[in-house]
Amino acid sequence: MPDILLDAWQGLAPSLQDGLVLAGLLAPAVLTGLVVTFGFRPLVLVPSLIWRYRWTNLVFVALIAVSVGLGVGLTAQERGLRQGTARAAEKFDLIVAAPGSEITMLFAAVYLQPSDVPLLDGAAYQRIVSADNVSLAAPIAYGDSHDGAPVIGTTPQFVSHLSGALVEGRLFGRSGEAVAGSAVSLRLGAEFTPAHGMGDEADAAAHAGAGTVIVGRMAATGSPWDKAILVPVEAVWEVHGLANGHAPERSAQIGPPFDPEHFPGTPAVMVHAETLWASYALQSEFTTDSTMAFFPGTVLSRLHGLMGDVRQIMSMMAIVTQVLVTAGVLTGLVVLTRLFARRLALLRALGAPRRFVFSVVWCYAATLIGGGALLGLAVGHVATGILSREISRRTDILVDASLAWPEFHLIAGFVSMTMLLALLPAFLALTRPVIDDLRG
Amino acid sequence: MPGLHLEVSQLAVTGAGGRVLVRADRLSVAPGEAIGIRGPSGAGKSTLLFALAGLQPSTSGSINWGGVELLLMGEGERARFRRDHVGLVFQDFLLFEELTATGNAALAAAFCSRREAQPVRARAAALLERLGIGTGPRNVMSFSGGERQRVALARALANDPAIILADEPTASLDRETADRMIDDLLDLVRHAGKTLIAVSHDPHLLMRMDRRVDVIDGRLREGEAVA
Repeated sequence: MPDILLDAWQGLAPSLQDGLVLAGLLAPAVLTGLVVTFGFRPLVLVPSLIWRYRWTNLVFVALIAVSVGLGVGLTAQERGLRQGTARAAEKFDLIVAAPGSEITMLFAAVYLQPSDVPLLDGAAYQRIVSADNVSLAAPIAYGDSHDGAPVIGTTPQFVSHLSGALVEGRLFGRSGEAVAGSAVSLRLGAEFTPAHGMGDEADAAAHAGAGTVIVGRMAATGSPWDKAILVPVEAVWEVHGLANGHAPERSAQIGPPFDPEHFPGTPAVMVHAETLWASYALQSEFTTDSTMAFFPGTVLSRLHGLMGDVRQIMSMMAIVTQVLVTAGVLTGLVVLTRLFARRLALLRALGAPRRFVFSVVWCYAATLIGGGALLGLAVGHVATGILSREISRRTDILVDASLAWPEFHLIAGFVSMTMLLALLPAFLALTRPVIDDLRG
Repeated sequence: MPGLHLEVSQLAVTGAGGRVLVRADRLSVAPGEAIGIRGPSGAGKSTLLFALAGLQPSTSGSINWGGVELLLMGEGERARFRRDHVGLVFQDFLLFEELTATGNAALAAAFCSRREAQPVRARAAALLERLGIGTGPRNVMSFSGGERQRVALARALANDPAIILADEPTASLDRETADRMIDDLLDLVRHAGKTLIAVSHDPHLLMRMDRRVDVIDGRLREGEAVA
């Protein structure tokens, strides 16, 4: 494309670009329709043909709608999942952990999928917290749960950073207090005892005596942290028989500063820097032999990049599936055309030009395709909502997918491609012998 | 449009394997004349009718309508000729069941030019009124056989053709309805001076034609004139 056109294109508003792409994708269908119907009024007869075999036609429309709907529903879902995972990670600026797999740590720290990872010791924590421009350095501790909800130890400052103002109650101020995630069913004032471990293997009796009361509730974050119960990191260390991060004379303290001498270790430290450049400086500073620093957004972006290829394959497969279904439907149309071959023969006997008969059959097929595509939009909308809810329920990541321009483009491309394919049954209808069809 | 003169000579319609389906050495029909074609089933009556409409493939010889040689025309020209000059009536009406009487009678308006469409619609409406059908919103699927055939007749005449070709127009009707159909057909055709060629087994219809032609074993034979 010449630079001047490229510049002009890039100067357009994104929605205008999308609208123009949509128009371009629909253009073959519209132009075909204009050329095919020019000078005639075939739509006078199309409702009659559709009504005549309405149940068969309805099945055809439903087949197209389901294939289109599922295709666009899945692509919208994939985008929604990317956006959801990105949104869930956006409060986690920089994570510092012991060297290992960034992805494992991302899953553990951001998406609360705990795994055995090496711990950072007190000296490492001290270096992080003492670094320039660090405004927040929160250790986390995990491994306990209650009724399926992970119990995560952290600092009050990190809870505020994650949630903003609480929607209910107050921050925890001592061991034995907890702040519930927005989706946790425990009410304010409810008491529970954390179980050791997660899932079916959780040991409910391991921490007997460590009763905890809910004193606050976070606002929704759209992340798995909504289903977590946040307690002082000191409480988690204590129930596991470890030092609680503070010298004995300050053992009742909650939150930083922690004493490196009494710091039992943490799988990760959530770091928030005062500025963006400071974040990069910190990442560089803590990428060492003994520590690993990474931006969750960057790791996620790499993962999404990898998924991008999958996405393209998914889109292609969605189109191929839709085209195959439509090819099947068009084959069915060729058969169906035989059912009203007598009517088409009548038109030719009455002197209708071949192009008129061609336009009637094409418009008939185009109506089914157009109807199927429009219904497919509705199916896609509903499927997207259902899939979003299901994925959100299963992953705890808020997936709020909806149909958008990419799906509209996909449908427009599908409509144009299949309306061009619909020229085939229209052509085949003309090859039928008029007299034989007239005689029935 | 007044009727056209028909001159057929050395006409032969062949079917599969080169078998001759119909042969007519000579047939002449004057403008405004009504002739009946009769013969046993399978003798080739309908084949002859379709050949006269330019629909029958593998037709040789000469079919001359008012100086225009039909068999020299291409398919598109023949379609145009039928659109402008021919009205067809079929035994089983061949209507679009889901359309109204007007929709069926003015069917040609869907594929002729905008300039031609309006007169077609006007004539269709007038014919339906004249035939007692009216232009109501009912679909023809609820019509009786007689009503359907009158709609088919209105469709055949809506383009004001010079020639009416009718294939067993009364075969699907009871006697009373068939007689009324014959009255309507002949009234409209004679009133406008159209040329009518009707294939029929119906003696009531054949008796009221100006002339009868027999088709026996694919060959035409002039029948006796009707007074």
